[in-house]
Amino acid sequence: MNPATRRWALAALGGFLLVLPLVGSRYVVYLTIHILLLAVNAVGFNLLFGYTGLLSFGQAGFYAVGAYTCARILLAWPSLLPGLVGGTAAAAAAAFVLGYLSVRHTRIYFAMLTLAFGMMIFSLAWKWRAVTGGDDGLVGVPRAPLELLGWTVPLPTVERYYYVVLVVAVLAIALMYRLVHSPLGLALRAVRDSEVRAGHVGLNVRVLRLVAFTVAGAYAGLAGALLPPLENTVTPPIAHWTASAEPVLATLLGGIRHFAGPLVGAFLLVAVKDVIVRFTVHWSLVLGAVVVVLVLGFRGGVASAVEALLVRAQARPRGVPAPAGEEAP
Amino acid sequence: MEVLAYQGLIGLSSAMYLWLISAGLTIIFGVLGVLNFAHGSLFMLGAYLGYTLYGLAGFPFGLAVAASVGAVALLGAAVERGLLRPLYGLDPSYQLLLTFGLVLFLDDLAKLVWGGVFRIPPIPGWLQGAVVAFGRPFPHYNLFLMGVGLLVALGLWLAFDRTWWGRAVRATASDREMASALGIRTPAVFSSVFFLGSGLAALGGALSIPVRPVSPGVGAAMIVQAFIITVIGGLGNLRGAFVGSLLVGVLSSYGTLWFPEFELFFIFAIMAGVLLVRPQGLFGP
Amino acid sequence: MASGPHADYGRQIEMGAQLAIEEINAAGGILGCRLEMRFMDDENRPAVGVRNARFLVTEWGAHFLYGTDSSGVAMALGPVLRELDRIQFFTHAATHRLTEELVAQQKIKQIVRVSAPVYQDAVAAWLFRDRRDVRRWATIGADYEYGYATWAIFREQMRRLRPDVEFVGAAWAPFLTTDFSPHIAAVMATNPDGIIATPWAGEAVTLLRQALLQGVFDRIKVWFQAMGGSVDVLEGISPEVKEGRFQGKLYATARYLHNWPNTETNRSFVSRFAKRWNRMPNYSAETTYSAVYITKAAVEKARSLQTDRVIAALQGMRIETPAGLRVFRSEDHQFVYAVPAGKVVWDPRYPIAVLGELKVFDPKDYWRWPPFRPLELSK
Repeated sequence: MNPATRRWALAALGGFLLVLPLVGSRYVVYLTIHILLLAVNAVGFNLLFGYTGLLSFGQAGFYAVGAYTCARILLAWPSLLPGLVGGTAAAAAAAFVLGYLSVRHTRIYFAMLTLAFGMMIFSLAWKWRAVTGGDDGLVGVPRAPLELLGWTVPLPTVERYYYVVLVVAVLAIALMYRLVHSPLGLALRAVRDSEVRAGHVGLNVRVLRLVAFTVAGAYAGLAGALLPPLENTVTPPIAHWTASAEPVLATLLGGIRHFAGPLVGAFLLVAVKDVIVRFTVHWSLVLGAVVVVLVLGFRGGVASAVEALLVRAQARPRGVPAPAGEEAP
Repeated sequence: MEVLAYQGLIGLSSAMYLWLISAGLTIIFGVLGVLNFAHGSLFMLGAYLGYTLYGLAGFPFGLAVAASVGAVALLGAAVERGLLRPLYGLDPSYQLLLTFGLVLFLDDLAKLVWGGVFRIPPIPGWLQGAVVAFGRPFPHYNLFLMGVGLLVALGLWLAFDRTWWGRAVRATASDREMASALGIRTPAVFSSVFFLGSGLAALGGALSIPVRPVSPGVGAAMIVQAFIITVIGGLGNLRGAFVGSLLVGVLSSYGTLWFPEFELFFIFAIMAGVLLVRPQGLFGP
Repeated sequence: MASGPHADYGRQIEMGAQLAIEEINAAGGILGCRLEMRFMDDENRPAVGVRNARFLVTEWGAHFLYGTDSSGVAMALGPVLRELDRIQFFTHAATHRLTEELVAQQKIKQIVRVSAPVYQDAVAAWLFRDRRDVRRWATIGADYEYGYATWAIFREQMRRLRPDVEFVGAAWAPFLTTDFSPHIAAVMATNPDGIIATPWAGEAVTLLRQALLQGVFDRIKVWFQAMGGSVDVLEGISPEVKEGRFQGKLYATARYLHNWPNTETNRSFVSRFAKRWNRMPNYSAETTYSAVYITKAAVEKARSLQTDRVIAALQGMRIETPAGLRVFRSEDHQFVYAVPAGKVVWDPRYPIAVLGELKVFDPKDYWRWPPFRPLELSK
C-alpha cells in the first residue's frame, strides 16, 4: 500500500470515527468503544507476540489490574485522568514483577506461566473482598469528569465518553507505532527471530523481553482502566483466561505481521461476535473453528490477505523487482 | 491426627484425576514438544462419552470407560495427524494457538451436543461401599481411583523403560532427526504418543462421572491445574508430574482444612513458591 | 445462565415468562397490545449481561427486562438500568445488596425484585429452633457473597433464638467446584450436629451425593440445603430420596414450592405449566411468570409504559400469585411473600422428590426490614 493511499485511508477512517456518534445509534457507539479498548489491548499484545515472539495468555490479568485500580481511584477521587494514569501504572508494575519471574524461561514455559499468573490475579480479584469487592466486584464507579489544565469536562453520556476514549486510543496506538519503528522495535524483532544470535550481537535478551512484557501489560492496563467509567462496574470475570483470549484472537484474526493487524482484528472480533451472538449462543464454536483454520492456512490473518490482494491489484510490470525491504507498514 | 490423615487420603484420591491429565500432557510435551492446551477438553470428552454410555445408555461401567478412552485416544491421534503435523516446522506458538482454538471449539461443541442439565449416574455396584479409615468411612471408589493411578504410573514406567516402543519414544524425544535416521518411524511414534496421552486424559474424565458432574467448563478448570503441576514438577518430566499431582492434591486438601479463606489462591501460592526457590521445577534439569 | 450446572434456572425463567405471555396474549394482551419476548444468555458474566441489556433496550426496543440468575450480573445491571431508564423485574438474583444498597440507599428505582432474596435461607434458624439436640452447626459454604451472606444471616438469627448454639466449622467451596470431598471431610472433622450448605443447583446435587459417600448422614442430625427445594435439585437426588439414603435428615427451602400454597391460583398454574412444558415449575419459573403478571397489573393501572408511571403504580401493590400473596415494599422495591421450609421426602403423588412436613413462618420474623444495617460478612 503506497504512502499516499495509506494517508487517504487513515483520513477517511479518522473522519468516520469522528462523526460516528452523529450517524450511529448509541449501541453502535458503545460497541465501538469496546472495539477501541480491544484495539489498545491487542496492539500491546502484538508487541509481545508479533514483534518479540512471546505468547501470553495472561493479558486479562493486567487488564483487570488496570480496571480495578482505576475503579478504586475513581471511587475515592472522581477525576478521570488520575484513574487512567493510575490504572496503567499499576498494570505496568504488575507486569514488571510477573515478567521478571517469567522471561527467563523458554517460550512454551512462558506461555504457561502467563496463563497461571493471569488466573492468579483472577483468584485474587475474586477473593480479596476488601479491595476488589470479591465476586460482587466494585459497583457504582462514577463516569468521572475529565479534569485537565484547569478545565472540567463532565461526561454524562456514552457519546461524550466515546470521544475521550477515541483520543486516548489514538494516542496510545500512535505511540506504539513509533515504538515498533524505533531501534527498540528492531531489537525486539531480533530477539524474536533468534535469541542466540541476538545475544551474540550484544542484545540483552531478558531485559528486552521484560521491557516488551511490561509495555504490553501497560497497554492492557490502559484498556482496562478505560472500562469502569463506561460500565460503572468492575467484576472478576474480566481477569479470567477466557478474557485473555480476546487480544490473542483479535491479533491472530487481523494478522500478527502487520502493525494494523490487531486493530483490524479488534474490529472484526467485536463486530462478528456481536452478530453471531444474535443468532446462536455457540459463538465460541465458530471462533474456535476460525482460529484453527487461520493457524493452518492463513497465518498472516486478514491484514496479510488484504495486502496480498492489494499487491496483485497494483501488479508490477514483469522484470521490475519489488522495492527492497518492503515489510510491515 | 486422624483428621490429618483422613484429609490427606481424600487429597490423594483427588490427585489421581490431576495425575491422569498431567501424565498425558507431560508425555505429549516431552516427546512432541507440543503443549496441548486442549488436553483438558479431552478429559471433558472422556467424561461426556463415559456419561453417555454408562449413565444414559446403561452400558457396564468398565465397558463404557474403555470405549470412551478408545474413542478419545483415536480423536487425539487424528488431531495430531491432521491438524498439528502441518505445523511442526513452524514457531511453536502456532501449535499452542491451534490447540487453544480447539479448546474453544470442543468446549462449545460439548455444550451444543450434550446441552445443560444432566445427572450423576450411580456408582457401579461392584465399587460401592466404604472402608473405615482413621475412624471415618472412606469410599471404595476413592481406593479404586488410587489403584488406577498407581497402575498407570507403574505401567508408564514399564512401558518407557522396558518396551521397544518406549525406547523408540525416548529416542524420538531426545533427538528427532537421529531417531528417524536410525529407522524409527517418527510420524507413527508421534501419533502413538498423542494416542496414549489423549487416552490417559479421557480415562481421568470417564472415571470421574459416578462422583463428579461433567460440564463444558470442566476441561478448562483442569488444564490450568495441570499446567501448574507441570511447572511445579518440571516440564516434560513424568516423575515430576506424578509427584506434582500428589503434592497439589494433598496440599489443596489441607488448604481446605486450615486456610478455608484461601482455597482459590492456594495452588498459585504453591506454584509461585516453587518458581522462586527452584525455577526449573522440582525435578527439572 | 443457559449453560453449566446452573443452566436450568435460565431455562425455567424462559418457560415461566413464555407461559405468562401466551396466556396474556390469548386473553387480549395488555391494554390491547400483544406481548413479545426475547431471551439472551448472560453466560454468568456481568459484561455480557450489561451488553445484552443495552442491546435489548436500545436496539430491540425492550420496555421491560426480566430475570438474571447471578447476583454479580444483577449488581452490574443496576446503574445501567438507571442510565437506560428501564425497569427490570429481578426474578432470581438473591443478593440483599441489590435492594438494600442499590434501591434503598442509591435510589435506583428501576430495580424491582419479585423473588425472595437471600433472607429466605435464614428460615433454617426458625425451622430448627426447637431441635434441642442440634447444637453444633457448621457450614459447607459457597465461596462467594451468597454463601457468606446466608451464613451471616443464619448465625445472626440462630444466636437470637438459641443462645446455646455453637458454630463449629466452615469450609468454603468456590463457584463451579466439582469435588467437595475435602470440604466435606474438613467440616465433618469438627463433629457437627447440623450442616447448612449453600452450593446450589447442580452443585447441591454433587455435594449431597459426595456427602453420602462419606457417610455424613449416618453421623449428623440435620442437613439444611439452601435452595434444596428447587426442582432441578429434587430431580437430581430423587433416586437417593426414594431409597431413604438421607434418613429423613435432609431439609430445605426454595423461593417458591410448587406444592404450596394449596390455592386455586397455584394449583392451576402448576397444572398449566406441567402440561405446557412437561416439567414441574421451578421457583425461577414462578417468579418470572408472576413478574409478567405484575407488569400487566402495573401497566393497566398506570395506563402507560413510562417507567415513572409504572413504578408509581407498583406502590402499595398487593397481588395474588401462585406463590401466594405478594406485597410490594416501597423502601427497597422488594415484593414480600412467605415460602415454607420442610423435609425432603418421597411422595408417590409426584414424579420427583418434594418438600413435605412444611412449616410456614412470617416474613416479618425472618426477613430483614428497613432501616437496613449493613450486613457483616465475616466468615
